[in-house]
Amino acid sequence: MRDFDYIAPKSVEETIKVLSEYKDEAKIIAGGQSLLNILKQDLMAPEILVDIKHLSELDYITYDEKEGMRIGATTTHHAVEVSPLVIEHYPILSEMEHTLAFPQTRNWGTIGGNLCIQDPTGDVAPPLIALRATVKIVGPNGERILPMEDFSTDYYETVLEEDEILAEVRIPPMAPRTGVAYSKFRIVEGDAPIVGAAVAFTLNEDGTCADARIATNGTAPIPLRIPDAEAVFKGKKITDELIQEAVEVAGEAMECIPDIVASDEYKKRVAKVYIKRMARKALSQIQ
Amino acid sequence: MSEFSVIGKPVRRIDGLEKVTGAAQYTTDIKLPGMLIGKMLRSPHPHAKILNIDTSAAEKLLGVKAVITGPRDTLGVKYSNWRRYPHLMDETALAMDRVRYIGEPIAAVAAVDADVAEEALSLIEVEYEILPAVFDPLEAMKDGAPQIHEGPTVRNNVSEARHFEFGNVDEAFKKCDYVREDTFYLHPVIHAFIEPYNSVARYEGDGKLTIWTSTQTPYYIQTLLAMALGLKEGNIRVIKPHVGGGFGGKMELFSDQVVAAILSMKTGKPVKVELTREECFEGGRRRHPMYYTLKTGYMKDGTILAKEAKLYTDGGAYNAMGPTSLYLSGFFQMFPYAIPNYRYDGFHVYTNKTPATAMRGFGGPQAEFTCDSQIDMIAEHLGMDPAEIRLKNRMKPGHVIPGLAKVESCGIKECIERAMESTGWKEKKGKLPKGRGIGMGCYGFMSGGVFNWINSPYAYSGAMVRVNVDGTVDVYIGSAEIGQGSDTVAAQIVAEKLGVPMSDINVVRGDTRTCPPDLGAWGSRQTLMVGNALIMACDQILDKLYKTAAALMGPNVVYDYAAKDGRVFIKERPERGLDFVEVVKAAIRADEGNQLIGRGYYTPHDKGMVSPAYSFGAQVAEVEVDEETGKVTLLQVTTAHDCGQVINELGVEGQLEGAFVMGQGYTLSENLVTDQGKILNPSFVDYKLMRAPDVPENFTSLMVETYEPEGPFGAKEAGEGLTNPNAGCIANAIYDAIGVRITDMPITPEKILKALDEKKKKEAKG
Amino acid sequence: MKKILSFTLNGQPYEVAVKPKTTLIELIRDEIGLTGPKIGCNAGACGACTVLIDGKAVDSCSVLALQVEGHSVETVEGLADGDKLHPLQEAFLDDGGYQCGFCTPGMLMAAKSLLNENPDPSIHEIRHGLSGNLCRCTGYVRIIDSIHDAAQRMKKEGGEKS
Repeated sequence: MRDFDYIAPKSVEETIKVLSEYKDEAKIIAGGQSLLNILKQDLMAPEILVDIKHLSELDYITYDEKEGMRIGATTTHHAVEVSPLVIEHYPILSEMEHTLAFPQTRNWGTIGGNLCIQDPTGDVAPPLIALRATVKIVGPNGERILPMEDFSTDYYETVLEEDEILAEVRIPPMAPRTGVAYSKFRIVEGDAPIVGAAVAFTLNEDGTCADARIATNGTAPIPLRIPDAEAVFKGKKITDELIQEAVEVAGEAMECIPDIVASDEYKKRVAKVYIKRMARKALSQIQ
Repeated sequence: MSEFSVIGKPVRRIDGLEKVTGAAQYTTDIKLPGMLIGKMLRSPHPHAKILNIDTSAAEKLLGVKAVITGPRDTLGVKYSNWRRYPHLMDETALAMDRVRYIGEPIAAVAAVDADVAEEALSLIEVEYEILPAVFDPLEAMKDGAPQIHEGPTVRNNVSEARHFEFGNVDEAFKKCDYVREDTFYLHPVIHAFIEPYNSVARYEGDGKLTIWTSTQTPYYIQTLLAMALGLKEGNIRVIKPHVGGGFGGKMELFSDQVVAAILSMKTGKPVKVELTREECFEGGRRRHPMYYTLKTGYMKDGTILAKEAKLYTDGGAYNAMGPTSLYLSGFFQMFPYAIPNYRYDGFHVYTNKTPATAMRGFGGPQAEFTCDSQIDMIAEHLGMDPAEIRLKNRMKPGHVIPGLAKVESCGIKECIERAMESTGWKEKKGKLPKGRGIGMGCYGFMSGGVFNWINSPYAYSGAMVRVNVDGTVDVYIGSAEIGQGSDTVAAQIVAEKLGVPMSDINVVRGDTRTCPPDLGAWGSRQTLMVGNALIMACDQILDKLYKTAAALMGPNVVYDYAAKDGRVFIKERPERGLDFVEVVKAAIRADEGNQLIGRGYYTPHDKGMVSPAYSFGAQVAEVEVDEETGKVTLLQVTTAHDCGQVINELGVEGQLEGAFVMGQGYTLSENLVTDQGKILNPSFVDYKLMRAPDVPENFTSLMVETYEPEGPFGAKEAGEGLTNPNAGCIANAIYDAIGVRITDMPITPEKILKALDEKKKKEAKG
Repeated sequence: MKKILSFTLNGQPYEVAVKPKTTLIELIRDEIGLTGPKIGCNAGACGACTVLIDGKAVDSCSVLALQVEGHSVETVEGLADGDKLHPLQEAFLDDGGYQCGFCTPGMLMAAKSLLNENPDPSIHEIRHGLSGNLCRCTGYVRIIDSIHDAAQRMKKEGGEKS
């Protein structure tokens, strides 16, 4: 690991100032659970690390019946996992966090840091996309809000400018008659996912599908929301046949990359299985 | 076995307290005053000539104390454990003029800290002439393939061929009702001990050197380091602190040891060389990949009459312990079955990859996967229960393998039967719901190798026992505790023999200056070999104590004594005896104050060419296969193991569980993937080891106790052999669950799905 | 340029100057000299370096030393209370929860973190609580048993106290 300087700003405001000053010489570190490995391999060599891990103003979980949930970016995975508010309102998020990497990672790693690293197999984004989450980005010119699915741009790349930080994840209240499920495929438990799928359904009172959300990880350079597959369900009664149809549509959208663990074909096939399973599971939560 | 006081009793390990408090010192924890950090420059090419190495810029860097290269600073001696067979010694500490695998060490630096050392490495300029490389043994054997080593005994990259044969295989095949031939591929995996390779060397001047190192074989390091450095063996002191695992990967002299020593000799300072995890992958060792062909002839009733095994190993760039893995794979191919006619041909082939070597099972895991898979295929062909066909062909006590082995104790029958009974085999086999299945694998393994590659004049194990005047006992052994619990077993054996409490035993080990020579921890040799040496040493002491007791007590006619519970007494009249300490004091006085010392050694006699004794076992696994993803989950695992007399049950169970899980990883997840000789997953992030949530929740170890006449108190191997049957056992269970057989390891979910697809296609065609 | 770091290690306050790139494990092992926590992979994958930060298990190879400013760090050396072993240590000794011992300091601290949060974990919870700690020797079975045993011992001790 190369030498670097280290700054620990006292506030978000100061963080933005530091970033504006140092631009691409600076890199933000939060929990550093992925970043330190990248630095150790000299894949990145910032002049300055700007540490926001300790910023308590970004460490919170709140819930409001109208606005929904707000999770500060430096909230640890573990805090999300065990939060009574999360467990009450979005149990799927707690479940997801419970299987994210290792206990050690969850205890120190942050939800914002995880999203910003943008590992395409990451666990966090797909369930958030299914939950219609947005992210709040803060920069020198104020803040902007983006849908979760628009945050990632490529492998390890996000929309963040050099002087911006991810400040908050916002999740709207769950509509009545909504079911959400997420799970992932791993060969070794506790290991990073090979692929994963999140599915959310909201039903109309007559049981037809008011809204569907499908998002996957490990199937593209970014967390993949698949609107074409979601559209299959709109206004219809969800059946196994319909799920199968959506799964096939979803498969078309995936651009899996082969690696030493699995081929692209295999990944796609398993991702489709997981969409099917999660669709059934989400549906079973409502029915 | 209630007559024992310590053997077979639940005793805490003697190294426990320091290990649970963090006080236990490993080589990596050693920091000496003025210590420098050494690092090695490694080859980025799989095969290249080294035209020039320019170290001048590195030498000028502030904080660099020495830079060494093979041609300039080493003797260039080829060394390895094959001292008795010099034609197999093919490796040097640093490359002399050629590199043969990516990761091969070329040069090294010593500097004030790791950062400076690393920067210095980046300043060394090496000029290469790239040579064509070859990565597959079958390619490497073809005419015209790049030649990785020259030499009179190497032809077409085959460095060693092994052949053995007995009976009349060709005639037997003719007599068989059926003959089948199957081919298999076994993949490479790594040892993955958690403590990386590391050493601290301190040159003391006057040709004397001390080295602390993470090794399974202190004596080999002492001997070979002397050879590599041109020093006298006795002037090299090898200290083995606690070792964070070895599994066969730390039984040779490695570059970190030689380089640390040379750098210390050059600088006059202690030097530490510690490999990173990535270096442990790239510059370490691995288990042999093998292409295996088995031709087996059998009768309608399931009797196996003849077997022919042929294998090609991907040995990597150097022999390492490959020739023995090759030999033993062919040997264990027979176990635990009585094959009357057998022919084996094995070829150790060089490739431009990291050298392969011994790894837990020593050729056995590959052999048993093929053997167990094929036995199940035969059973299916004949409509037999796979357990029955195993019972039918099993070895029996007293079995002789002509020219190779004599098997005395053999509990394989009981192992199979108890495993069947415990798992409900008969109710389950072929009868579980679709997607669930049960499978069996069996094995036999050695209790120490009767091999002396190192060409040592010393016996296999040595021991010295000293009883102090207060009755405490110092035990000097050269065997290597690397986590398996052998020091505790040694202490138990002495405590039992002398009748003293465990708390009065002090084990002195891990230091070649003070401990007797011992060939170290490999081939499951320590309990049997050092155990026997200790018994001999204790018997010498007991002889003196009994004579002293007799003199003190003045018995009438009976001179048979025993020592137990801190007393020495007349065997048939236990009430007539003396306090152990009193007898010890008297014995010392009677000998003019000379220390009360016993010395022992172990050398097997009339035990064949491989091992003094063989352990046996049967393994049953129940699996569930997700037919949509191909993922295999282990539901239940049962091991029935014959390790002779159990000395430490907790230790045996722990070893069996560890061996199983290592086998589980071998079968399902681990794979050292290379592309053009480059390892693609050299980290614990990308190399997939089994983790706690993956191991079977239901794990049963059944002890099948036999009495092995050659073993101390009747004990033999435990813990290595069980690595062998797991792959076959799991493969057989998968077949039982979903009807597909994978012969190409590892058994990944993707391969299972592919096989299921093909099966469905075939069924559709009808 | 080194920076000043104040934190607590095993109950003792420390003020040390560290380079920004120094990781917590490097600080603890190389500079402070506690060698209980080990480096197995230096990539946050093996857990041999596990320590507690404010009572929670963390891979100390994956935390910058400067990030523990103001925090309380605990290593295996802080587990026993003087000569009195922690129930986890007793259980590891009695139940064979270690072999080579190299992963043990990290394993014990991961276990302590788990029990801090969940004093009565099921076997399933223990298995998952150890997913970040590799052990190549034991196959985990006896480690899992040891932790389960320790939880029972602690319950008993707690019961006796109250």
